[in-house]
Amino acid sequence: MSSHWAEHNLDVIRTLMERSALYRRALAPLMIAAGLVGIGASTVTCFVKIDGLTAFAMYWLLVAAVAQGICLLLVRRQALKSEEEFWSAPTRRVAHAALPGFFVGAAASLIVVRSAAEEVWMLPLIWSAAYGCGIHAAGFFMPRGMKLFGWLMILLSLGLFIGVGGVVDSPTTETAHYLMGGLFGVLHLVYGVYLRFTESAKESA
Amino acid sequence: MNPEDFHKLDRVIHEKGRMAIMSLLAATPEVSFTDMRDTLGMTDGNLTTHIKHLQKAGYVGVTKSFRGKRPLTTLSLTGEGRSAFAGYIDALEKIVKSARG
Repeated sequence: MSSHWAEHNLDVIRTLMERSALYRRALAPLMIAAGLVGIGASTVTCFVKIDGLTAFAMYWLLVAAVAQGICLLLVRRQALKSEEEFWSAPTRRVAHAALPGFFVGAAASLIVVRSAAEEVWMLPLIWSAAYGCGIHAAGFFMPRGMKLFGWLMILLSLGLFIGVGGVVDSPTTETAHYLMGGLFGVLHLVYGVYLRFTESAKESA
Repeated sequence: MNPEDFHKLDRVIHEKGRMAIMSLLAATPEVSFTDMRDTLGMTDGNLTTHIKHLQKAGYVGVTKSFRGKRPLTTLSLTGEGRSAFAGYIDALEKIVKSARG
């Protein structure tokens, strides 16, 4: 007697269990919002002078808080629309997985700020590498693309760490603002637009 | 394949719809009725029938509450349901193993 049906049932169970553990909120609006906030904040620094390590760190922490607030509001709106709880089990899993990476980023920036180093341009790279680690860890409970996005952030940060230090003679705070705009603004926006099309294609399939 | 292994399969779970419901619930502490319906592509009536069957067997717990003014139905596996599902998977694995020799 064939046992194919039993294998098939086990496959179905495995797939459904994996799907159940995944975070399924639409990510495109979150990515686009975060990207636009990042690009906007970077553009503001062309007109308003935000110089020095502490001012730079405070400014971008404020921008991160605004972006985070907007994203949480979008997630809440999606949860209400689909009549689900906001702090659902998959959301908790994603938050728990991402937290260590974000914590390391925050701790490292605190160390850099306290050491009063003049290398402001290193801060965006430390942040984006730590952020990439957090996103990669959270990616285990999200669609596969998120892990690749995490890797992209990590590799770009490391590449720029070597590139900026070697190519630009004396990177200024201005360079650091552009790095923030590029790493957090442009990357999020591009990935958000990509998700916008792929997510709607999946929905219509 | 040993026919005894086949007889060990839990009849309540060994149905396409109910097996899918149990699989989703086994991976997460609780799932809302609407999320379950949308994930599995079932109709409200079909899902309700399967849930009643699983509830009667003592495998699934149903909690009704309100989120704001909207009613919210949440489903979760009971302890009995969790061990029955583990037993079902064991039985399937035994069948596959014995068929492979």
